[in-house]
Amino acid sequence: MTGRVGGEAVLADGRMLSGAMLRQLFLGQCLVLALHLAWMPAWLAGIAALVAGYRYLQLRRRLGRAGVLLRLAGVGVLTGALWLHYGTLGQMESMIGLLVGVYLLKLLETHTRRDGRVVVAIGLVAITVAFLHDQGIPMAAGGLVALAWLVHSLVWLSGGDGRRAWRESAWLLILSAPLMVMLFAVFPRIGPLWNLPQADRASTGLTDEIAPGDIAQLSRSDARAFRARFDGAEPTPAERYWRVYTLSDFDGERWRRTPPERLASTLGRPLGQFVAEGRRSPWLDGEPRFEAELLLEPDSRPWRPSLGAALASDEPLRFLADGTLEGTSPLASRSLLRMSSTGQAPANPDPAGPTWHTLLPAEGNPRTRELAERMWRESGGEPRAFLAAIMARFGGAPFRYTLSPPRLTSADRVDEFLFESQAGYCTYYASAMAVLARSVGLPARVVAGFLGGERHPDGHFTIRDYDAHAWVEVWLDGAWQRIDPTAAIAPERIEEGAQAVDDGREAFLADAPFSPLRMREVGWVNRLRLDWERLEYQWQRGVIGYQREARNALMARVTAGLHALWERLVALAPGRGWLGGLLGLLMAAGIAAGLAALLRLAWRHHREGRNEALRIHRLQDWLARRGLGARPGESPSAHLRRVADEAGDAGPALRECAHHLERLRYAPLGREEHRERTRQLARRVAEVRRRLRRRLRRLPRRQGGGAGAGGVAS
Amino acid sequence: MRLATLGERWWRRMAIAPGSALPQRRLFLLPTRFGLGWAVLFLLLLLFGINYQNTLAYLLAFWLFGLGVVALLRAWRNLLGVTPTLHLPHEVFAGGEARLGVALAGGRPRTALELHAGGASARINLPEGQGEAILALPAPVRGEQRLPLLRLETRWPLGLVRALAWLESDERLLVYPCPLEEDEAEHRHAGAGLEATDFAGLRRAEPGDSPARLAWKQWSRTGVLAAKAFSLPPRQQLWLDYDACRGDPERRLSLLCARVLAHHRAGDRYGLRLPGVTLPQGEGPHQRRRALEALARFSPAGEREAGR
Repeated sequence: MTGRVGGEAVLADGRMLSGAMLRQLFLGQCLVLALHLAWMPAWLAGIAALVAGYRYLQLRRRLGRAGVLLRLAGVGVLTGALWLHYGTLGQMESMIGLLVGVYLLKLLETHTRRDGRVVVAIGLVAITVAFLHDQGIPMAAGGLVALAWLVHSLVWLSGGDGRRAWRESAWLLILSAPLMVMLFAVFPRIGPLWNLPQADRASTGLTDEIAPGDIAQLSRSDARAFRARFDGAEPTPAERYWRVYTLSDFDGERWRRTPPERLASTLGRPLGQFVAEGRRSPWLDGEPRFEAELLLEPDSRPWRPSLGAALASDEPLRFLADGTLEGTSPLASRSLLRMSSTGQAPANPDPAGPTWHTLLPAEGNPRTRELAERMWRESGGEPRAFLAAIMARFGGAPFRYTLSPPRLTSADRVDEFLFESQAGYCTYYASAMAVLARSVGLPARVVAGFLGGERHPDGHFTIRDYDAHAWVEVWLDGAWQRIDPTAAIAPERIEEGAQAVDDGREAFLADAPFSPLRMREVGWVNRLRLDWERLEYQWQRGVIGYQREARNALMARVTAGLHALWERLVALAPGRGWLGGLLGLLMAAGIAAGLAALLRLAWRHHREGRNEALRIHRLQDWLARRGLGARPGESPSAHLRRVADEAGDAGPALRECAHHLERLRYAPLGREEHRERTRQLARRVAEVRRRLRRRLRRLPRRQGGGAGAGGVAS
Repeated sequence: MRLATLGERWWRRMAIAPGSALPQRRLFLLPTRFGLGWAVLFLLLLLFGINYQNTLAYLLAFWLFGLGVVALLRAWRNLLGVTPTLHLPHEVFAGGEARLGVALAGGRPRTALELHAGGASARINLPEGQGEAILALPAPVRGEQRLPLLRLETRWPLGLVRALAWLESDERLLVYPCPLEEDEAEHRHAGAGLEATDFAGLRRAEPGDSPARLAWKQWSRTGVLAAKAFSLPPRQQLWLDYDACRGDPERRLSLLCARVLAHHRAGDRYGLRLPGVTLPQGEGPHQRRRALEALARFSPAGEREAGR
């Protein structure tokens, strides 16, 4: 690299940018484009190459400058291509594409310093926009590289050669970093000032309707759903039931969630009976069992998981009467959420009423109904015995748990599952169990959420898409009770997670062929993955999650710390008050000044140690202040020798100084010898000062300013 | 115009004399247009960070802010302590350019210093801590002139701010008249190409004398090595007279200037008679300089007074 940089940023005429500078700008564009390319159409790279090729030919072959027609055509082609690609220009992605494309095309009309600076400025905006895609560590590192490159371009544009510009850019970045960190920590965080178009987030995660018989989509993906950390007690594996949605509307095929708005309008009751916005749940109170801090992934739907029924959170949320939560808006970026929850199914009755939770289609699944009736009779009308009988039935052959069950196609899917295929995963069992319970008039609903999660060595949990799970809640003895039929058929799924299920393995992570999670058994790969995930978690939590609450908490801590320091200072001082504090501050300032002086001295010493000319120069100045200055045109060594004649016992040392200086300057010395002589010189200089000072003190200062060196010697 | 002069007066008061290091109090920092644009960019990124709640955008915005502040200090430091020294041009003729040398010593490496004065500008890097730039100032009129106010500035390192200092020198620039050759060659004469051929006696030989000029005969006779000395033939002795020229005063001075140069080249002895000023006959570079200075300083108004 050092061989290629260098030279001037502008040509000899002082105006037009040189080829080297244009290449610098182009490489900067490539770096910025690289930040975008994973999310943007790849043909943008083609535009970059075309523009660079044109400029190259223009410089080499004396091609004409790109005229206004060519530039307009470029913008036209870009707009057209974006329109073809996205179908609209109003979308966030196409606007980002427009910005990046214009940034690339700008190189066509970049001729002077000013143009170069404009290109760099657009580049900085393009870097910022890239942070909309992602804010992970790789993106941050890429942004840093691109920023350094752009700063280097700016420095180079201002003058000097490329190499000196690198040194200066490093200084600029390093010196400005503390300021940046301070501002970042202190700057007050406010909410969005106005609404801007948001980038679309694919909603790959949990859906709010499930249909037994469909492909188990989620187990095929290793995408992260969210991460969690607990203050205080951590849930045991069997307690890690993250509730997200309750599904209470069954149409014979699929279970659907009924949002509170629809529930209110269907039942003809006010919305306030089903949902409340705030920081505490109005439906439940009691001792929270788990205090969790969630790091949520961006999603276009406002779902929020909670371990059991949610009690309270640190930001306003919509608390639903079924014990689940919703955010007030979709998440555009990862964010932190602190919440407390019960760890259990909610104890409050659902305002929709028991009838709502026993609704079944008028017909369909006749064999299932028949089975339910029979089992209800056999258990003597005792709900607990009935449920236990169902669990016992699922626990034995011929039922098996598999991630790739045969697809169910008939209208009576529950019948088909219970009496024909008898193979499935959580959704199948949960659905069948809820239908069985409802058939005998027990209020029941399916809960969709996550079960489990990977616990990292540092104590945080990662919950992934393949941890998605469905179970049943039944209203029993004045509270909802969690009943998970999967626990009967595949207890290893509860204890160890989805990867422990052997049957139908091929469906597990089917959509993530290169996932490092596939290599859990290889020790070092797994360690590397865990380390990386821990680092990523800390980055997301500490830096990206540094939003309003974290900032306020830190500021409160800093203020408290300063206050405590102040108190201690006041307590230390005798005056006990403002005066004491002032004294303390003055003391601190004095100490700081002393330290600065010491550092300065050390720096001087360091520089002198390397530079004999400087050392001798300082000695000459020192002599001059004592009336022994050099005459005009006198060389340093001649000066020292002349003074030596008059300096009494400092004479030999002065002569040696002169000798060493000459040897150091003119003799071809080896490295070792050079160092030795420099050391000798330092010693002699110190000796001269010592002896001369003593001598001058002994001599009365009767010679005024007019008396020169001779006066001292006489 | 009036505003400009007012501004210039103010700048002149802020100016420092060359020869000393630029002090902190006389350095000025002004944002450039790009610097203002940078501020807008910072606000834009900050708004972006706020509206999208994007932490990395916040970070980048604050970093740009920090860069701006540090660039301010670095630009200031790039200029602080630079010692400018002016080297006046040896001679300047009206209508030509005055090549003013500005030697800059910085102690530490400096980059991209710019000098501006009277429409001329130069750019210089001091990688070793010192260097000299040449400013080609236009010198349209004859006479003793003040040096234009010199502006020393730098936009390094980011082009966001301009650190600048004003220099004002007490030294005067003496601009000689523009030499104007006469059409008729009546004043030209064969003065050129004269050689010293007239034997003028002997002198003691010195190392370096040409062997051909050594007096070998005298050496063989007396044993003392002597060299033959020759003298130049008598040259024209003439007066250049203002009153003998035709035309307006400036034209006359230009003619006289051209003749001074020509006679100096020819090695003539010449004197100069201007109204009120008389320069006795003389020769050599010294005479040339005195004559040109007299021409440069001559003021026709004084002539009129002297004439009355």
